[in-house]
Order: sequence, then C-alpha cells, then structure tokens
Amino acid sequence: MRKLKLVVALCMITMLLLPAALMARDIAPFESTGWLEKNLKNPKVVIVDVRKIEEYAAGHIPGAINVFYGSWAIKRGDLLNELPADDDLRDVISAAGIQPESWVIVIGKNQTMPERTDVTRVAFTLRYAGLENVAVLDGGFDKWVAEKKAVSTDAVKPKAKPYKGKFNKEFAVNKDYVMGALGKSVIADVRAPEFFNGEKKLDFVPKMGRIKGAVNLPPGLLYNADGTYKSKDAIETIAKPVVGTDLAKEIIVYCDTGKVCTNWWFALHDLLGYKNVKVYDGSSMEWLKDTMAPSAP
Amino acid sequence: MGCVFCHKGDAAATDMKAAHNGIVNKPSDNLKLCGMCHKPIAENYGKSVHYTSAGQKHGVAGRFSEAEVKAFDEKVFEKGCRSCHASCGDCHVKAPAIGGISTGLIQGHKYVKLNEGKTCAFCHGGRVYPEFTGEYGGSVDVHYQKGMMCTACHKKTEFHGDGTAYRAKAEVKDRPKCTNCHRLGGESKLTARVSHEKHSGKVSCYGCHSSGEYRQCYDCHLGTGSTSKPGFILGKNPRNMREVTTLRLIPTVRDTFMKAGITMENFDKLPNYWNAPVHNIKKRTERTRNCDTCHVEKKNFLTQEALIPNGSKANESLIHSPKAIPIQR
Repeated sequence: MRKLKLVVALCMITMLLLPAALMARDIAPFESTGWLEKNLKNPKVVIVDVRKIEEYAAGHIPGAINVFYGSWAIKRGDLLNELPADDDLRDVISAAGIQPESWVIVIGKNQTMPERTDVTRVAFTLRYAGLENVAVLDGGFDKWVAEKKAVSTDAVKPKAKPYKGKFNKEFAVNKDYVMGALGKSVIADVRAPEFFNGEKKLDFVPKMGRIKGAVNLPPGLLYNADGTYKSKDAIETIAKPVVGTDLAKEIIVYCDTGKVCTNWWFALHDLLGYKNVKVYDGSSMEWLKDTMAPSAP
Repeated sequence: MGCVFCHKGDAAATDMKAAHNGIVNKPSDNLKLCGMCHKPIAENYGKSVHYTSAGQKHGVAGRFSEAEVKAFDEKVFEKGCRSCHASCGDCHVKAPAIGGISTGLIQGHKYVKLNEGKTCAFCHGGRVYPEFTGEYGGSVDVHYQKGMMCTACHKKTEFHGDGTAYRAKAEVKDRPKCTNCHRLGGESKLTARVSHEKHSGKVSCYGCHSSGEYRQCYDCHLGTGSTSKPGFILGKNPRNMREVTTLRLIPTVRDTFMKAGITMENFDKLPNYWNAPVHNIKKRTERTRNCDTCHVEKKNFLTQEALIPNGSKANESLIHSPKAIPIQR
C-alpha cells in the first residue's frame, strides 16, 4: 500500500513537472552574435530580419529571411502597433516557415529605441503566437556588421508550412482587463520619466499623464551604452525595487502604443522569470483618450 | 569611358573653371547619348510616360477649353510638370530629387540596374510606396510582406515604354493584373471562390482587398501645392462605371491654376475622385470577413454628404449604394 502511494505521488509530481520541462527554453531570450554565428547552420534556427526589404537586400545575416516589421504589428482604428487578427498572424508565421519547435532569432536595426523595440515587439508577438524559443539578437544587425561577421545579399525564400501552434492569448490584455486590475496588479509604465510624470507626450497620444497607480520602468534602463542588453543581474537589480520580487504577481506593462513596453515584457517574463506578465496593447493611446479611465497626475 | 564622354567639359584644362566649361549635369536628358549603346531602349523610352510626363497633362486637360490647353502647356506643363520627367540617369545612377532636394547617387557613380527602394520609392513615395510598406495607413501590403518589390509585378516595358506614346498610365498595355498570378476559380476555400464569382466584373480586387486608409489629396494650388490626409473611399470607377473600386481624391480644385489665368471652363466634366490601385493589399479585410460591412453598413462608400465642398458635378455619378443581400428561404 505504501509503495502504491509512493508511485501515485511520483506520477503526480512527474505530471506536474512535465509541462514545465516541455516548456523550458532551449535558447536564451537575448542571444549573442557569437552564439548566432556558431548556430547559423542549425536546422532549428530561423533568423527573422524585420528591416525593410531594401535594407535586407543590401545585406543580411546569411540564411536570414525577411518579414518586415509591419507584417507583425498593424494599425487598428486609431491605435498603432496592434496584434494582427489570429488568422492573419498565423498566415504570416506560416509563410515564414516557422514551426512551434523552431528557434527564432529576431534581428533588426539597433540604433534607436523604436528600432530596438521593433525587434522585441516581433519577439513578443511570436511568443504570443505560441512559440517558446524566441530570442532577440543582442546588439542587432549593427553589432553583427561592426564585428565584421559574414553578410549575404542572397535573398532567402522561406518554405511556407502551416503553423499550428497554440496561442498564448493571456500575454496581451485590453483596456477593460487593465481597468479591473487597477489596485491589484503592478501596472508598469515603460516610458521615459518625463512622459510618466506627465511633462511630455507624443503627438499621437491624446493627453499627458499615465495610468493611475502605475510605476515607472523606463525603457532605456535595459541597455548598455553600445545598445546591447545589460546583464541579467543588472536588469534584476533595476526591476525588483519597481515591480517587486513575487514572481507570480501579475504585472501589466504599457507604453505609448504597446511597442516599446515589449522590451520590459521580454526581460521580465523571459529573462527574469516573472510568470504573469502581460502587455496592454492599447497603451496610452487608448487609455488617455478615455475620460472615464483613471489617470494621473 | 571617362567623365567627359557623358558630362563633357574640358579634360585637358588645368583649373576647375576651365575644366567645367560646357559641362552637362544630366547627360541622359539627351536620350541619344544612352541610345548610342542602348538604341532600342532609348527609342522606346523617349515615348514612355516616365519620360514624357504625358499623364500629368492629359489627366487634367479634359477640364480645359482649347485655349486653356494651350495656356496650360506654356505656363504650367513645360515649367512645372515636365520637371518631373525621368531620364535614364534618374533611375540608374542618381536617385531623383524630391521637392528640389537631391537625394544623392544610388551607389557611388555606378550604373545600377535596379534599386526600387531608392528610385521607384522616391518618385512614388508620396502615395504608392509608403502605402505598400504600411508606413502610411499602418498595414503592410501582403506582397511586401512576402519580399516582393515593384518589379515583381511591374515589368520593364512599363518603365522603358513599348514604343507607343501613351497619353496616360491607364492606357499602357500589359499593366499588372492580380489575375496574372491569382487565377479565378483556383481558390482553395469555397467561400473565397463564391465571393470572387459573385463580385467578378462588379468590384475591383482593391475594393475588397485594400486593407486600410490611404492618402487622399486636397486643395492643390499652383505654387503652393496640396494637403493630404488618410481616408478610405469606395465608389464607382470613373473609367469603368460598372465597377466599384477604391477611389482617391485628386487635389485639383476649381482655382488650382488661377495664378496662370486658367479657370478650367470644363471643370465639371471630370470628377475629383479617381480609381486608385491602392498598394495595401491583404488577404482578409473587414469587407472579406463580413458581407454586412458593405451590404448593410455601407461602410466607407462615397455619399452625397461626404463629397468635397464645391467639387465637380461629375462626383455625384460615382456614388454607389450596395444592395442588401436577398435572404433565400
């Protein structure tokens, strides 16, 4: 009888741990140029270059395919950088020949914050679509070129294959959801302090201010001066005092359009292991337009 | 070939001023020069709409009286519109000037066979190209998404001409057709096949598959230019009244050429909205997803109330109201 109980207990533990083991990452969320160079011929690796076609045509990482940023984030109504409809997103992934077991490395330009977060937004979108092994190339194409690594001008035509991955719909939330989470979850405003403090705004954002109760996680804090990501320890040291140490606590990140905040989503969720991090896709563009939505200052 | 072969000047001179004596900035404006080696292309090109800019004249000429056509030729076309014509070097050596500002050489001074991002994109960068990349309107064209650029659909004869002096782009033979690649009847989904059958000849491909807002241009005045804002307009195709399509507002208004003394006596003969092959195609749009978008909501269709104020009387003929779909019991 005792043996039977032990076997049952072991089976239950195995069943509980199995999904976690299956979901474990095989690649780091921020992969280095050195790692990519060594893995260029790895059949699991799909390098997705999100720059414009003409930039890709002028030179890209050998073997990289091109799927321009605009394919992954669309304008819906007045809102910029929104997730495409599920079937459209599935088509984009299928056309790129990406499969659930692929190791996708997203690359792009790396000079400015919008360029860096084009890449994290695409990486987030692939994670939303159910991909587990998605990484951004640390330092981007700029670092690859600066290191004089091989560059190709031969366009790679991906072999389309239907993508049947299961979407992680819980990664993205809407305004109503955020409204319900006020006072319960950590709402992290991923904008520079002058925007968080209501001193500045971008033209397309209806008014200055932030979601009431939000904390500030400026996007620039993730990077070294050369545009590469800071170490995990350094990022953890920045994040903990702002979002806390409870890895199970719900954290909702937002910015102006839902693009820039994906860099912290990626860092918190995929690098630091916060398990319940969500992106508010409508972000300030939507929230600050609604006179009923609580805002500050 | 040295520099002087094309640009002239004096190679033997020892000071800059003398060396530049008689220099030619844009040698390929003289097509005979390129024609020395590329005779058939140069001969055709001289008649192409890229070189003649004929479309800019004939597009608006229908609004003029005979006397006004003459005045337009002298005072507007030759002095303004013609400056937009492209010679060989504008596509193969130097990216075109935009608003009078040089955008530089394409690749040093090399002759480049093709660089759509620096040539096509710059001249057609007000409307077509940013719509194609999704930078205007916010939704990338599915063809750009799949790595296709201009020449994937537009062939050499369109750029270089086929030897016929067409009056406008719309007259050019062998322009791209969606059905060149997407054969009707070859759809894998029944709903797509039935929808295409039902709408064939009645609605253009753009009418259903254009995915979002595109540039609409307003209030052009000689010397000051026009303004623009995004919009999405469906109505009858003025070139084929049996077809519903995407319309683009063109900026000619009643007093556009007033500075040149042209009142446009026949202004009302032509509409202000023209059929637009909008380059922001997607497989699924709100119209392909739901018949009610057009047949119940009539969303984005041109209406009497939406017509531009003081526009052409011909605009009214483009208004179309889709019928409700009969329910079969």
